Amino acid sequence: MTAEREPFRIPIGPQHPSLKEPGHFEFSVDGEIVTQASLRLGYVHRGIEKGAEQRSWVQALYLLERVCGICSHVHATAYCLGVEKLAGVEAPPRAQAIRSLVAELERIHSHLLWLGVAAHEAGFDMLFMHSWRDRETVMNLLEGITGNRVNYSANLLGGVKCDIDQRLADAIRAGLDYLEERTQHYLDVVLNDALFLRRTRGIGVMSREDAERLGVVGPTARASGVARDVRVDAPYAAYRTLPVQIVTEMAGDLQARFIVRVRELFETYRLIRTLLDTLPEGELTVRIPRRIPPGEAISRVEAPRGELFYYLKSNGSDQPERIKIRTPTLPNFASVLVLTVGRQLADVPMILAGIDPCFSCNDRMVAIHDTGEGRDRRWTWEQLRQHGIEVYR
Amino acid sequence: MSTLNALITLVVFPGGLAILLTGMIYEWVDRKLVARLQNRMGPRWYQPLADTVKLLAKEEVLPNGVHAQMFYALPVIALAGALTATLYVPVFGLRPAYSFNGDLIVTVYLLSVLTLCMGLAGANTLNRYALIGATRTLTQLFSYEAPFLLALLGPALVAGSWQIGEIADYAERHWLILTQPVGFLVAIIGLMGKLELPPFDAPEAETEIVAGALTEYSGRGLALFRLGKGVELVIGLTLVAAFYLGGVANPLLFFAKTLLLLAGMAAMQTLLTRLRIDQTVGLWWRYGALLVLAQYLAVIVWQGVMA
Repeated sequence: MTAEREPFRIPIGPQHPSLKEPGHFEFSVDGEIVTQASLRLGYVHRGIEKGAEQRSWVQALYLLERVCGICSHVHATAYCLGVEKLAGVEAPPRAQAIRSLVAELERIHSHLLWLGVAAHEAGFDMLFMHSWRDRETVMNLLEGITGNRVNYSANLLGGVKCDIDQRLADAIRAGLDYLEERTQHYLDVVLNDALFLRRTRGIGVMSREDAERLGVVGPTARASGVARDVRVDAPYAAYRTLPVQIVTEMAGDLQARFIVRVRELFETYRLIRTLLDTLPEGELTVRIPRRIPPGEAISRVEAPRGELFYYLKSNGSDQPERIKIRTPTLPNFASVLVLTVGRQLADVPMILAGIDPCFSCNDRMVAIHDTGEGRDRRWTWEQLRQHGIEVYR
Repeated sequence: MSTLNALITLVVFPGGLAILLTGMIYEWVDRKLVARLQNRMGPRWYQPLADTVKLLAKEEVLPNGVHAQMFYALPVIALAGALTATLYVPVFGLRPAYSFNGDLIVTVYLLSVLTLCMGLAGANTLNRYALIGATRTLTQLFSYEAPFLLALLGPALVAGSWQIGEIADYAERHWLILTQPVGFLVAIIGLMGKLELPPFDAPEAETEIVAGALTEYSGRGLALFRLGKGVELVIGLTLVAAFYLGGVANPLLFFAKTLLLLAGMAAMQTLLTRLRIDQTVGLWWRYGALLVLAQYLAVIVWQGVMA
């Protein structure tokens, strides 16, 4: 056995049943209480940014859509909005509305998926199975609109490639009616199920000050009373004419994160119905030049998990010079490390799921700063390979 | 002849093979019911048998740093404990194969051998999930054991006997669920805790500690532990049905009543969220044990008044 003073460390990840993607958390525990938490990322770095720089502007769109398997549409939207800004064109109003429509449908699917995963972490498989069954409704709608269940490819540079006709609109309305009824039930569970509340109420409490200090985004921030939503703060696409009601909760605990996401679903249903009722007539695309004029652009959209940030730089060729992506999971990770300390080990998966982490979306290149020598180190491919062999032997 | 009879009793029916198969069928019923309640398809009827055959055929990996004899012996002891308990319980609506005064206590402790072995199996390895799982398994053992035993002693008290057969005879004439409802509830919840079924599955909560105490087990050891759990499920259901639900005088009554109980347990597994280990302990000691004790007092006072 280990020496007496040595803290007992529980590794969660890189491979662990509670993680759907590889990440590595290490928790020191004293009995069941977590005393220290650390995080290591980078297991699923895919080099997407670099890959995008080696493709043309059009090809990069389809690559960037694959940053995230759950919220692929927001990535494409953020990229398209940025490129359109650089090129000085604007997609037609109908295209903007359809972009927002698909984004909101995607939000439904993402939130229902999260609800199931988080319930599973709490050992409440009934909610898991039922919310995933209902999620099929919105998946079918997305397939009806775009032809794909994931990675919808609804966006083009300068517009969208799928239209909403009367038949689709009716199908969406019918689907929403069913989902609204089910969501009412989920809200009831989240608010009232006595045993479920024992696992969510008062757990992982993040005060408003902490939320501001840690810089969390999205529903995680809104559950701590921080009214922050890119759709409201810096409206894009159809949100410029369509006001969004921000859903906030003051409690800051896990239950608040559940309530915020479920209530957001109702707001999303309202937005989709309004979008369908007020869908502008007109073209779906505008022409966009193959070579994008030189310049830099920043594009922000509200992904289901929070603010998604794109930085684009063009040198005037048909390929991007630099693309930088920051997904909402990265700012939210810090909160997990803070919130789990002092909590029970059993609450850790719940708190982790509470931020709706998406590991592979978030993994970016990290520069290694060697503070000991005071200068940065660069490794050649050979050294890196040798290092990998030695570490993982 | 009597040797042959004894051997058949031990190995084929009602102990041994018959109870093992029944355990697998009950496990399937439980899994299927839970699945249907969760709007899933659930496994086919022979799935537990197929799992067992597969596990028995697989290589058993001996992890580094374990006590090898203990690692191999613990599953055998666990299953042996559960199978021995079968002999004192009226399974399949038959009289218990063997009986002596005080066999109720022996049976309850034979059932605990399985849990104890699982705890030891977890503590035997160096795996951190298994160690945490072992701690939780043993913590849970200490929390449900007393209330569960007390809940089974309630019927013993009114029957005036510590012999399972005699209590069952008495219970056939009295539906004790009506006179001791608290005892029934605590018994059925205690049984769920014993079997580590949701919502009391903190010791093997996969989202936290993988497979808990049994994380390092594969192949034969895991199969034996699973078989032991199946047997324990049947025995536990039999005890509760025999004591509280008007007895299990014939096979028909036995299957009807135990399956009814199992359906109730499946519903609870579906509806409830997993409890943290501290919440489990609190639930049993704060409510379970105290309520059963209160009911005890009531029964004793009532008997005093009647006498």
